[in-house]
Amino acid sequence: MPPSPTRGEGKKESDVLAYIARRIVYVIPIVISVALVCFLLVHITPGDPLVAVLPADASQELAAQLRAAYGFDRPLPVQFGLWLLRALHGDLGNSIATGRPVLAEVMRAVGNTVTLAIAAAIIGFTMGILLGLIAGYFRETWVDKLATSFAIAGVSVPHYWLGMVLVIIFSVELNWLPAVGAGPGGSAAWAWDWEHLKYLLLPAITTAVIPMGIVTRTVRALTGDILSQDFVEALRAKGLHETGVFRHVIKNAAPTALAVMGLQLGYMLGGSILIETVFSWPGSGFLLNSAIFQRDLPLLQGTILVLALFFVFLNLLVDIAQAAIDPRIKRG
Amino acid sequence: MTELPLSATADAALQAAPATKARGYWATVGRRIRRDKVSMACAFVLLLIFVSAILAPWLGLEDPYKGSMIRRLRHIGTAGYPLGTDELGRDMLARLVYGGRLSLVIGILPVILAFCIGTSLGLVAGYVGGKLNTAIMRTIDVFYAFPSVLLAIAISGALGAGILNSIVSLTVVFVPQITRVAESVTTGVRNMDFVEAARASGAGPFTIMRVHILGNVLGSIFVYATSLISVSMILAAGLSFLGLGTKPPEPEWGLMLNTLRTAIYVNPWVAALPGAMIFAVSICFNLLSDGLRSAMDIRN
Amino acid sequence: MLIKTTARAALIAALALTTAAAWPRAASAETVLRIGMTAGDIPRTLGQPDQGFEGNRFTGVTMYDALTGWDLSSADKASVVIPGLATEWKVDDADKTKWTFKLRPGVTFHDGSPFNADAVVWNVDKVLKQDAPQFDPSQVGVTASRMPTLASAKKIDDMTVELTTKEPDSFLPINLTNLFMASPAKWQHFYDKAEGADAKAKSQAAWTAFAKDAAGTGPWKMASFTPRERLELVKNANYWDKARVPKIDKMVLVPMPEANARTAALLSGQVDWVEAPAPDALPELKQRGFKLYANEQPHVWPWQFSRVEGSPWNDIRVRKAANLCIDREGLRDGLLAGLMVPATGTFEPGHPWRGKPTFEIKYDKPAAQKLMQEAGFGPNKKLAVKIQTSTSGSGQMQPLPMNEYLQQALAECYFDVQLDVIEWNTLFSNWRRGAKDPSANGSNATNVTYAAMDPFFALVRFLQSGMAPPVSNNWGFINNPKFDELVKKARQTFGPAARDAALAELHAASVDDAAFLYVAHDVGPRAMSPKVTGVIQPKSWFIDFSPISMTP
Repeated sequence: MPPSPTRGEGKKESDVLAYIARRIVYVIPIVISVALVCFLLVHITPGDPLVAVLPADASQELAAQLRAAYGFDRPLPVQFGLWLLRALHGDLGNSIATGRPVLAEVMRAVGNTVTLAIAAAIIGFTMGILLGLIAGYFRETWVDKLATSFAIAGVSVPHYWLGMVLVIIFSVELNWLPAVGAGPGGSAAWAWDWEHLKYLLLPAITTAVIPMGIVTRTVRALTGDILSQDFVEALRAKGLHETGVFRHVIKNAAPTALAVMGLQLGYMLGGSILIETVFSWPGSGFLLNSAIFQRDLPLLQGTILVLALFFVFLNLLVDIAQAAIDPRIKRG
Repeated sequence: MTELPLSATADAALQAAPATKARGYWATVGRRIRRDKVSMACAFVLLLIFVSAILAPWLGLEDPYKGSMIRRLRHIGTAGYPLGTDELGRDMLARLVYGGRLSLVIGILPVILAFCIGTSLGLVAGYVGGKLNTAIMRTIDVFYAFPSVLLAIAISGALGAGILNSIVSLTVVFVPQITRVAESVTTGVRNMDFVEAARASGAGPFTIMRVHILGNVLGSIFVYATSLISVSMILAAGLSFLGLGTKPPEPEWGLMLNTLRTAIYVNPWVAALPGAMIFAVSICFNLLSDGLRSAMDIRN
Repeated sequence: MLIKTTARAALIAALALTTAAAWPRAASAETVLRIGMTAGDIPRTLGQPDQGFEGNRFTGVTMYDALTGWDLSSADKASVVIPGLATEWKVDDADKTKWTFKLRPGVTFHDGSPFNADAVVWNVDKVLKQDAPQFDPSQVGVTASRMPTLASAKKIDDMTVELTTKEPDSFLPINLTNLFMASPAKWQHFYDKAEGADAKAKSQAAWTAFAKDAAGTGPWKMASFTPRERLELVKNANYWDKARVPKIDKMVLVPMPEANARTAALLSGQVDWVEAPAPDALPELKQRGFKLYANEQPHVWPWQFSRVEGSPWNDIRVRKAANLCIDREGLRDGLLAGLMVPATGTFEPGHPWRGKPTFEIKYDKPAAQKLMQEAGFGPNKKLAVKIQTSTSGSGQMQPLPMNEYLQQALAECYFDVQLDVIEWNTLFSNWRRGAKDPSANGSNATNVTYAAMDPFFALVRFLQSGMAPPVSNNWGFINNPKFDELVKKARQTFGPAARDAALAELHAASVDDAAFLYVAHDVGPRAMSPKVTGVIQPKSWFIDFSPISMTP
């Protein structure tokens, strides 16, 4: 992902297109391998796959009968083949515990995670860019130190713990914000008004802490680097107005900063088990947590697959975007 | 937690280039870092935590496993229990000091292991290039496709809870990340003029790899790896949080934080202590890693 | 690109905000009770809930009725089986495997279709008849294991059904509390509309649709459902039992698996009622005026002894000594903040199945020490025992602290207790493998808690020799001819009073034999806002939501 420093001269556009084409073709084997890893991870886990619907005190005949009814008596390669075949048709099977189609469950959860991620991105990126610019402009001053400490604290804090502390302060002690859930009527009745945003605020702040830190650090480094370059001095000497210098900084910092923010948004869109569990936010991480604890194999492997595929395509997108923004980038 | 400090990657990669092969380089870096007050303070705090963890049995502390229902959840400053007691009446000071042993091992060991494995893979892939690069990097891509928390949880879930399994799963999580950094930095350095000069003067691939590439690359990867330690510590604690890491009654900060969560209404400050320890170690490692990076950046 | 997206999202958010603010909010006078459950997901709504008895509590007995039900009207009396959708029942005098059930007339499902014998047969077939269109494997597990002997159902006339068991079994009416009656007409409606390659796929789709819009006969009707987040039930004004028509209009159920999150939600007024608040938060809750309810539940927290050859527990003096050595009141007040009832057996005095045990379980350390000395142990010759337990788990209360408490207490009576702490799911599956299995890891007692509502689950599966692993949960391979004989007698005694007497005899025998180390009963703690009134918490896993009201 990091842009490789290369020697001077630019490459032709056709090279970029070829690189993009090659990169896209690579995705196919990766997708299949990812599916295989998902399946194996879920299936080598010890324990009965039917534990969600079969009490431990059920008789052995009943267990065998159900195992056959769900197809868990077939050899693993056959199960994998069938699962992959159906997955290619957009059918991830039905959850064992609830009987509901896995794809719909995952998509609804992903929708809620997207809501959370957007809110967190707005908070985290705004804060990050602001702090980063300030710190970069006033490098080695107390303002820089303060902003940097803030950023470092952001990436160093165990955020689920932070989430709990925020709940204590704002929900329990001050009674300003609700502690858990996705709105007074659940996520199905979500709306972008204050009644609902109240529910979003604490999880979004908790989620925003890490991207805030990372964006601050990136922007600070970029701004500092650009400002310390000789030609900036030259521009200033030539009498260029500070806003012009600032525009220059923004222009040069944007590609890397955008790439970093894109990735951060991607990570947030993947959901966080821990934050979503602490706040009972019904996103993909929360779903994954339920799937793990109910040992609901179709749901578990479906959720992992969707999230993993999402990251495969995110990585692809970032690579392509970088190649498009900066055609000098050469990849092996 | 999936959200790794990727700027470190970018910075490390960008700043590897100007590093020269001069012998005096590391001496300069050493001198620079010794002048950095923040880094030195962090190093001191970390040293203190490390030493007290190692020397825990000889510090005259209470038994960290021995509890009593009568004295549970004492406040900070209680006579005999300077940091209070936990939900089973065990001395918090002793548990925090002893907890450092497991927490630091689980936090640091996976990064060290991943550093060794990932650097080797990345160096080979980056230096040799071509088909081998493709083979290694696309395999890495498969694992990289999984968000780190997801991967760690899936592997720990498959292997079952336990300290060793946590270390294994965290190592698997970090290898792809370090490999990617190592590969991209190596690829960059490989094409630099001084390496081509060495190649032209007849140096063999191993010599080039050892002297030029390793020398120029290791620093960046090392800096990146130190920044992973804090991620690793938080992730390890997260595994315990989900019941996939350390098992009770072992003192380990992540687990302590999780078992003390129920006490947060009764005794929030005691409940907050293990989190504060994780926070302290993780922030010190991050600051140290930053200090190291700027010390290695000769341009400044 | 990204900035654009973000800006667009912000714009949409701002727009939505203004639009939403412009809409007047609908004022309503309806009374709503919001409950935070401990379950991680909303229990299944299609008739046979999952999530154990918490599932039955919230989506079973609320939306549905069974042929028989539990009396939940008193906090003091034992909760016993009473008529539900069946008004009376009796076993055939000639063939004790055949039962006739007279159905309650004039009952309709929430969709308006009538409840009758066809509906009963249909509901039995949904879990027992594999070639019935409505057969649903996902409902079989939780249902069939709770009515192990039921074989089939037959319509006699519109208001009479005949149920057949595999063997004579007087527990059938108790088991039937677990078979909830879903509306066949409603299901058929979904089935006819369903798309699917074959009948099986259509059936599954119909059940999925039914789960979103279910119809039973219970006092609460399903109103809206957001998977994993909330279930809204509204009162069924036409409920057949006029005395149990709900007083509040609407009940909202929210899954909140995390104890702290539940407690915080209650404190911040997000819900009015939480199940199992965080124990350490109880003083805070009380201080802020929240009301706490708890009552003995049909639940036992025991040590189940190994009785295989060489087990130290084979000596009855040792078993009795352990039972006498525990200060259960101390455990309750010291560790559990009052949230347990000391166990002196599986059932406590006042319960119809208690009987009259002669061995009185209480705290009597000198007597315990004396018994241990008689058995050949003393301060210098301790008896080593090893207990397998878990770090957490459903119904396990606080397994580690409680076991550490027992460890300390038993040390006074010359026991040297070693704990083998494993993960809950592993402990639970080891339970079925038995003390002889390597998974026992040399333990000679296991610490799995159990529900004691039904005689099979409370007594038979532990005490009958035929229930030894792998058949059922007689983990320690108890083989006591007296127990076997009493089990048989109880199962074949059909008059309810006589059957209860036989069960009481069995229970008394098990206490006299000190078959378990009986420690505690859970109390199902719940906390609620002072606005919630009329709460009666019975000695049951369930609670009747009908008499509850909300003061504004």
